Amino acid sequence: MSSPVTASERTVRHAFGNVLAFFVLILIGVLAFSIRLFSVIKYESVIHEFDPYFNYRVTQFLTRNGIYDFWNWFDDRTWYPLGRVIGGTVYPGLTLTAGTLWWVLHSLNIPLSVETVCVFTAPTFSAFASWATYLLTKEVKGPGAGLAAAALLGMVPSYISRSVAGSYDNEAVAIFALIFTFFLYIKTLNTGSLFYATLNAISYFYMVCSWGGYTFIINLIPMHVLLCIVTGRYSPRLYIAYAPLVVLGTLLAALVPVVGFNAVMTSEHFASFLVFIIIHVVALVYYIKGILSPRMFKVAVTLVLSIGLAVCCAVIAILIAVVASSPTKGWSGRSLSLLDPTYASKYIPIIASVSEHQPPTWPSYFMDINVLAFLVPAGIIACFLPLSDASSFAVLYIVTSVYFSGVMVRLMLVLAPAACIMSGIALSEAFDALTGSIKFHLLGFSIENSQAGAGDASPDNVPAQKNAVKSDASENTLKERTSRKSKKKEKEREKEEQDGKSSLKSQIKRLQVLPFEASIIGVFLLILLGAFYAVHCVWAAAEAYSAPSIVLTSHTQSGLHVFDDFREAYAWLRHNTEVDDKVASWWDYGYQTTAMANRTVIVDNNTWNNTHIATVGTAMSSPEKAAWEIFNSLDVKYVLVVFGGLVGYPSDDINKFLWMVRIGGGVFPHIKEPDYLRDGQYRIDSQATPTMLNCLMYKLSYYRFVDTDGKGFDRVRQTEIGKKYFKLTHFEEVFTTHHWMVRIYKLKPQKNRIRGKSKKSKSKASSTASSTKRRINKNPWL
Amino acid sequence: MVSKIPSLAALIPLFLLLASTVADSDLAAELLALQSRSESGVIHLDDRSVSRFLTSPKTPRPYSLLIFFDAEHLHDKAELRLTALKNEFALVSSSFIANNQHNPTVRSKLFFCDIEFKESQSTFALFGVKSLPHIRLVGPDLKSPKDSDQMDQADLSRLAESMAAFVESKTKLSVGPIARPPLVSKMQFIFMVAVLMICTPFIIRRILAGDTLLHDKKVWLFGAVFVYFFSVGGTMHNIIRNMPMFLPDRNDPSRLIFFYQGSGMQLGAEGFAVGCLYTVVGLLLALVTHALVRVRNRSVQRFIMIIALFISFWAVKKVVYLDNWKTGYRVHAFWPSSWN
Repeated sequence: MSSPVTASERTVRHAFGNVLAFFVLILIGVLAFSIRLFSVIKYESVIHEFDPYFNYRVTQFLTRNGIYDFWNWFDDRTWYPLGRVIGGTVYPGLTLTAGTLWWVLHSLNIPLSVETVCVFTAPTFSAFASWATYLLTKEVKGPGAGLAAAALLGMVPSYISRSVAGSYDNEAVAIFALIFTFFLYIKTLNTGSLFYATLNAISYFYMVCSWGGYTFIINLIPMHVLLCIVTGRYSPRLYIAYAPLVVLGTLLAALVPVVGFNAVMTSEHFASFLVFIIIHVVALVYYIKGILSPRMFKVAVTLVLSIGLAVCCAVIAILIAVVASSPTKGWSGRSLSLLDPTYASKYIPIIASVSEHQPPTWPSYFMDINVLAFLVPAGIIACFLPLSDASSFAVLYIVTSVYFSGVMVRLMLVLAPAACIMSGIALSEAFDALTGSIKFHLLGFSIENSQAGAGDASPDNVPAQKNAVKSDASENTLKERTSRKSKKKEKEREKEEQDGKSSLKSQIKRLQVLPFEASIIGVFLLILLGAFYAVHCVWAAAEAYSAPSIVLTSHTQSGLHVFDDFREAYAWLRHNTEVDDKVASWWDYGYQTTAMANRTVIVDNNTWNNTHIATVGTAMSSPEKAAWEIFNSLDVKYVLVVFGGLVGYPSDDINKFLWMVRIGGGVFPHIKEPDYLRDGQYRIDSQATPTMLNCLMYKLSYYRFVDTDGKGFDRVRQTEIGKKYFKLTHFEEVFTTHHWMVRIYKLKPQKNRIRGKSKKSKSKASSTASSTKRRINKNPWL
Repeated sequence: MVSKIPSLAALIPLFLLLASTVADSDLAAELLALQSRSESGVIHLDDRSVSRFLTSPKTPRPYSLLIFFDAEHLHDKAELRLTALKNEFALVSSSFIANNQHNPTVRSKLFFCDIEFKESQSTFALFGVKSLPHIRLVGPDLKSPKDSDQMDQADLSRLAESMAAFVESKTKLSVGPIARPPLVSKMQFIFMVAVLMICTPFIIRRILAGDTLLHDKKVWLFGAVFVYFFSVGGTMHNIIRNMPMFLPDRNDPSRLIFFYQGSGMQLGAEGFAVGCLYTVVGLLLALVTHALVRVRNRSVQRFIMIIALFISFWAVKKVVYLDNWKTGYRVHAFWPSSWN
C-alpha cells in the first residue's frame, strides 16, 4: 500500500459501498418482480394452469374459514364419492404464506382480493429469492459476487418459468426457502452461532411446509458434512451447523401432516441420520484428541476405532435391514430414478411419461440458464481458489443439482440458483481482474497495487469491495468471517487491517495485471454476454413462459385473437347446473372445475387414486352405453370434454386419449390399447378402428362437428374425421363454447322400458335388485 | 414268420395312425434336447431344421416357436441394437425355462430359436423378413410362416419384460419373472466385501492422517468440472434413451449426421460437442482471471488473452447459432416502439 488509506477514509468508502449495495439490491428486487409481470400485461391478472387453481381454492378456504378449519378440511367436492382430506395431503407452506399476506394486507386496510394476492405471491417471492441469493453468495465469496448472483437469479429463465405472476404453485415460495436455508446453513458454518443454527432449522421447516423438494436439502447438507469430515475439515462450527438442524429440523418436519412420520421412516432421510451418528463419533474423537497427549491418543484411537467400528457396523446393518425390508428399498420411485437414471424408463412408465420428468437435451440448458452455462466452470474453479467450507458447499450444490437436472428436466429449477451463484462468482472475479488491470493502466501504480494485488493474490478477498485490503490467503479469515452487523465487527476490522499490513509486501511483490487493450476487450465481451443474457431472459419471460393456458391467444393477420373458452364453460357450469351436480372430465381439468365452476368432480390433478382415474378413462374409452352406465353409477350429471379440432388447440382430450386408454386398460383389462390403433398408429380419420370411432371420447368430441365446415376437418390432427354423421343415444349436448374448445354433455335420464322387451321389464318390475345387479356386474367401477 | 406277417400288416395302419402324434412328441423331445445343449436355451436353427420343425410337421404342431432373426454382420450397427436384443431374448428364454422347471408340459409348448441370415437366407425369404431387428412367434396352428405374429417396436422397447409380455399375451403361457443375472456374482460380492473389510482400517488411517486421494483438491476440481460437462451436454439423456453417437443420413448413406434438428432429441456426438463448447468458455475465463494474471511476460499475456477471448467469443456464437438452428426459436429484444 504505497498511498496509505486512512481508517476514516476506508469507513466512508465502506459505508458508501454498503449504501450502494443496498440500492442495487432494491433495484434487483424490482427487476425480479417486474420481469414476471408480462403475464399480467399481456393477458390479465389471472391464476394460471391447473395446480395453481387448487392452491387458490385452498387459500380461499383458508381466508374464509381460518387455519383450524383448513387443517381439518375434508373436501367433498372432489374425488366423488371418496373425497379428499386436504389438510393432511397438501404442503401448506404456499397457502399459509399467501393467507398470511392477505391477512396482513387486510389488517392494514388494503383491500386486495385473495386472487390478487395469489397472483402476485410468486413475483414477490422471486425478489426475496434474489436477496437470499445475495446473502448466500456473500457468505461464499463476498458481496460483489453476491450482487452479481442476485441480479442473475432475478431474471434466470428457469426460475421465471415457475414464478410468473399467476403461477401460484409450491415452487414459487420453495425456491426462496431453499436458498434461504442454504444461506443460514453457510452462515452458521461461518460463524458457529447457535442462533443461526436455530433459524436454519426454522427455515428448513418452512421449506418442508412448502415443497416435496426439501429432501434435496436434507440429503445435500449431510453430504457436505460428510465431505468436510472426510477431507479433514471437521470443526465445532460444522457440528453446530449440522446437529441442531437434524434434531430440530426432523422434529419440525414431522409436524407437517403430509410428511409426518416419513421424516424418520423413509430412506430419503436416512442419510442425515447416518451422518448425524458419524459426526458425533468424529466429534468425540476430536475431543479425546484434545484432552490426551499424542501418545495416549494413539492408544485411544485403536481402542475407540475398534469399538466405534463395531457400533457403526451394527448401526449400518440395522439401517440396511430396515431399508431392505421395504419393497422399494424405502425409496420413492422418483428418488430412485434420480439415483439410477434408467430406472424410471424401465420400471415406471407413468413417471417416465410425464413431460417434466424427461431428461433434457442441451438446448434446454441454453433455454433455461442461457449464458450461465458458459460461466459456471469458471465459478467452480474460483470456488477452489481457495477452498473454504462455504465454497465447497457451493461446489457440491452445483455438482449434485446439475447431475439431477440432467436426469429430470424439472429439476432445472434447483440447478438455476446454483448456476446463478457460480456465474455470479465467475463474473465478479473476472470483472475484478479486468477492471483492476484497466484501472492500473489508467491511474498508475500507486492506487492500483492494493486493488489488483488484493483482488487476485488473495482470492478470499471480497471482490468489488473497494476498501478491501484484507488479503490473508489463509482460510481461517474466511471461516471466521462474521456478519458485518455483528458485534465482532470492529474486532474483525482490526484484525483484517493487521493482516493487510503484514501481507503488504507480498502484494507488491505479486503485482498481477493484464494487458490494457485485452482487458478492455474482455470487459466489453463480458458486458455483451450479460446484455445477451438480459435480452434472452426478457424474451423468455415475455414469449415463452407467460401464457396462463387458461386464456389463449393467437396472432393472425386480422390481429390478436383471444380464446376464453375455458372460463366460459366453467362459468356456464357454475350458473346453469345444480350445486351438487357431479361433473366428469379427464383429471387435468379437475382442479379448474372445482375452483372455477364450484362443482363436484370425479378425479382431479392430485392423482392419488389410480383406480378412480382408470374408471373415468375406461368410461371415456367405452362405447356410449357402457360409458353411460359407468358415469351413472358415479352419479355423474355432466361430462366435460376439451376439443381443439376447430381452432387447432393441440393439447385437447383426443390427443390425451391414448393415456386414458392405457390407464383405463391398466386396471380394467377389457380396454386394450391395440383396439384403438390401426397398425400401431393412432388415427381418427376414416382408417381408424371401429372401437375408436365408437368410443365415447370420439363421439363427444366430434358430435355435430361436421356442421361447422361441412367436411369435419380436424385442424389439430390435420385430417378429416372418420365418422361424421352420428347421433348420441345416452348423452345430450347442453353447452359448447364459442370456439368449441369445451363441450359439455348431460347424461340422459334412464329410458322407459320398450314394449318388445316386456319379459325383461316384468322381471325388472318385480325385482329391481336383480337388474341392478346385472348392470353392476358389467360396470368396472364395482 | 407266417403268423407275424398278418400281425405286422395289421399293425401298419396302427403305426400310421400313431405316426403323426409320435413324430410330434419326438420333435418336441428333439427340441428339448437341442434346448438343453445351449446355455440360455435358445435353439439355433438353419434352413434344414426350420423345415423339419416348422414347415413339414402338420398343424397343429404341439409347440410354438419364437424366432429371433439375427445377422452377424449387422451386429456392429449400434442403432439396430441387435446384440442387446439378442441378450434380452436369451434372458427371456432362460427365465421361461427356469420358471417352468417343474412343469414339462408348459416347457415343451414354447421354444426360443434364433436364425442367422448368412446360413439361412431361404428362411428369411420364407418369413418375408426384410428388416432387423425382427422377432416372430409361430403359433401351433399357423400354416404359412408369413402370417406369424411379429413383435413390433413397442414390444421391444422395454426389452425382456415387454418381450415376455408379448409372449404371454399371444401364447397364453406364463413366462414368469425375468431373472436377470446380478451385476456381480455371489463369489465376487463376497470377495469385494472381504477386500473392503481388509482395506477399511488402512483407509481410516489414511483419512485420519489426512492423506488420501480425497484430500487432493485437484481431483475434486476435475471431478466437478467433469460432472458439469457431462450433464450440461445432455449425456444423461443419451444414456437414458440409448442414443447413438451419430446417424447415417437417410438420403445419402455415406454421410453421417452428427447434429439432429429438433429440440426433443439429440445425438451422442452432438452432446459432447456442445458440452465442450459450454465448458471451454468457463475454463478460459478462469484461466485468464486466475492463472494468466500471474504470468510476468506482457506479450505472452496479451497473446494468450486474445486467443482465449477469440475462442470464447466463437464458442458462444456457435452455441447460439446451433441453438437457434436446433430449436427454431428466434430470440429478439423488445425496443421502444418509437425507435422503429
